[in-house]
Amino acid sequence: MELRVTVNKAFSPFNLTVDFTVSQARIGIFGPSGSGKSTLVSLIAGLEQPDEGIIQLNGETLFDRSINVPPEQRRIGIIFQHPHLFPHLNVRNNLLYGYKRSALENRRIDFDCLIEVLQLGPLLERGVNNLSGGEKQRVAIGRAVLSNPRLLLMDEPLSALDDTLRFQIISHLKSVCETFDIPFLFISHSLLEMRLMADQVISVAAGRILGSSTAEELARQRLGASPVGYINLLKLGLPTPAAGMFAYPWGSSRLLMSAGPSRDESMAELSSKDIMLFKKHPEAISARNLLLCTVRSLFSSGRKIGVELDCSGNTLIAEVVQDAVDELEITPGSSIYVAIKASAFRLLPG
Amino acid sequence: MMKQITMALVAVAILSLSSAVFAAEINLAVAASLKEVINELADSFAKKHPGVTFRKNYGASGALGKQIENGAPADIFVSANLAWLEYLKSRKLVDEKSIATFTYNVLVFAGKEELKVSSLEDIVKLDRIAIGSPKSVPAGEYAMAAFKKAGIDKQLAKKLVLAKDVRECLMYVDRGEVAGAFVYQTDALQVAKRVKILFTVPQEYYPRVTCPIALTITGARKADATVFMAFLKSAEAKAVLKKHGFLNN
Amino acid sequence: MPEFTAAEYSAILLSLKVSLVATLLSLPFGFAAAYVMTYRQFRGKVALDVLVNLPLTLPPVVIGYVLLILLGQHGFIGLHILQPLGIKLIFTWKAAVIATAVVGFPLLVRSIRIGMESVDHGLIQAARTLGAGWFDTMLTVILPLSLRSVIAGSALMFARGLGEFGATIIVAGNIPGVTQTIPLAIYDYASSPGGDSMAMALCVVSVIISVAVLLFHEYLSHRMIRKD
Repeated sequence: MELRVTVNKAFSPFNLTVDFTVSQARIGIFGPSGSGKSTLVSLIAGLEQPDEGIIQLNGETLFDRSINVPPEQRRIGIIFQHPHLFPHLNVRNNLLYGYKRSALENRRIDFDCLIEVLQLGPLLERGVNNLSGGEKQRVAIGRAVLSNPRLLLMDEPLSALDDTLRFQIISHLKSVCETFDIPFLFISHSLLEMRLMADQVISVAAGRILGSSTAEELARQRLGASPVGYINLLKLGLPTPAAGMFAYPWGSSRLLMSAGPSRDESMAELSSKDIMLFKKHPEAISARNLLLCTVRSLFSSGRKIGVELDCSGNTLIAEVVQDAVDELEITPGSSIYVAIKASAFRLLPG
Repeated sequence: MMKQITMALVAVAILSLSSAVFAAEINLAVAASLKEVINELADSFAKKHPGVTFRKNYGASGALGKQIENGAPADIFVSANLAWLEYLKSRKLVDEKSIATFTYNVLVFAGKEELKVSSLEDIVKLDRIAIGSPKSVPAGEYAMAAFKKAGIDKQLAKKLVLAKDVRECLMYVDRGEVAGAFVYQTDALQVAKRVKILFTVPQEYYPRVTCPIALTITGARKADATVFMAFLKSAEAKAVLKKHGFLNN
Repeated sequence: MPEFTAAEYSAILLSLKVSLVATLLSLPFGFAAAYVMTYRQFRGKVALDVLVNLPLTLPPVVIGYVLLILLGQHGFIGLHILQPLGIKLIFTWKAAVIATAVVGFPLLVRSIRIGMESVDHGLIQAARTLGAGWFDTMLTVILPLSLRSVIAGSALMFARGLGEFGATIIVAGNIPGVTQTIPLAIYDYASSPGGDSMAMALCVVSVIISVAVLLFHEYLSHRMIRKD
């Protein structure tokens, strides 16, 4: 998939001026509200027209000085912030709306397979107006996918959902796009969502592109500016109870957390601000997690220094001030003790 | 200052009220077919009696009768048939002693010159014919009576365009929306330039068109109205009627 | 209650027929006009708005007169289009239909526009990205979702049509059995001394029909809500 977008559009209060080409399958567009992300989505999908510019998808020109392919012919699907399900059709007919309108040679999504992946089986014959928020969004995803798009635009699809739902939907989105091999553009103002969904992220602000990087790089860059620092995402195994807390396998290591238990393998968040570093083993410490790690690298972000640590094969990022780096003599390759309180972790729902 | 203004206002009020009582305004309710002749007669009367003014209300005799019944001001009622005068008489709205025959009229069929009809039987071949609405226009009633007598009323069933008075009938003919219309001879003569009398309806087919005249109860109390009434029955008036095409006997 | 003769029954049937045909004929045009006015931008849109709403503010007699001028023997359309084709409209029930349609059209369009404007714009965007062109979207999304307002507008137009007098009498004339609708029949009786009881009887019939139409419209609306 290759998408080329070079456009100008006046939209208040900014002017959207972008020029980029992307060719991966999982792209993110990241920026604060009002930065022009949704306008960009409208332009790519053909719902609005740029004042001037060129839009090309897989070599086909969708828009330029003399061409303007209407949205129904672009085969670009959108998953909106609100499901926008057709209230006068039931779930099945909503799902099939786009499918029925796609040309025979373009139909490659298997209906039953999709229902399976999104777990929509029991909902098929129901009307859409009494579905829960999560159910509606799943139907919306199914409907967009079933229209056999060449590219899927996701315009803040999780913003209207509560936390638990958000991560469930993320996993649905990923599995659907993976299963059916659909490239997507994921738009959001949440860095966490971006890290879970996208490989390459384009940052925008005030109608302009700030830069392009991987989600991971972006997170590290924002360590200093963010009030929560860098959020470590930890993959955990099934927990066992231990001394009033829970012991989670973490790679080849183990973490004690007060949160839990979760029934399956899960993910936990740990802020870089909640990690304390010790040059020497601190004989007695209240924190229940004490790990010996090796420093891999250091990077600066704003006024903080990010320390990338190798903990028995797992990666952790902690943040300290330059002063601490000097005092503890933290250098790549040196060993350091890492202390984390059991209550510092936050299990991701779903 | 206030007292003087009040006095002035009262004086004006009294004067205007009294002028309503003493001013010689005669209210006429006149069937449409008699409009021109009554106008001429009223004008010549007004010349001889300065100070007398007329308020004229024209329409279909039935419509006028209804209005008078509902309290519309009228001193003299000139009708195009006896029935509507009888109607008011039975409701004690006219001065019985004053009822008299004003004049007579004749029903004709009028249309554009090129139309080839010369009798009632020819009428059924036409597309659309205008007559006054029989429920309120005497000319329409007479026409319907003639159709029934001639046995053609069923055939004419869907061809009859009902107009609110004779004038409207002629307007339809003039516009070309109907082939012809049944109107009074006097009306056809009015618009002789554009519409021709194609034939006169034989008198045996319909009752004689009698135009009665009467003072209403209010009119009987007005001196000027009574004088004008006498004028309408005079020889001078009969000459004017004859000039307009009415029959005096 | 006086006895109705064939003339009165014919007036009632004619009223229903004329109003029904006028409403049905106006529906596609009314829907199209409402669509264009809601979803399209173009120069002269204000002019269209004014034109569509004009009959609402003009006295019906004026509308009737204008139609007479246009469609009559000497009128622009009458002379150049109708006569060559041998079509006669003035003083036929078709003229009554046209007069009723013109007078009621703005009511229909207004109602449909309100319905269309309440259709969530996001639904239309979704339909477009799912492969539906503007016509497809109009038929499969906008129409079903504004159906209630289409019906409301039709009922309103139909009821207004039953009462149409001014334009009808000018352009269709008062022809019993052909163009004499209920209002014209009532007028006829009301001008006639002694015709009061019949006029009143017809008024009662008129009211009954209007009430029936409104009740039917309510019933339809409720049925549609339940289906949701």
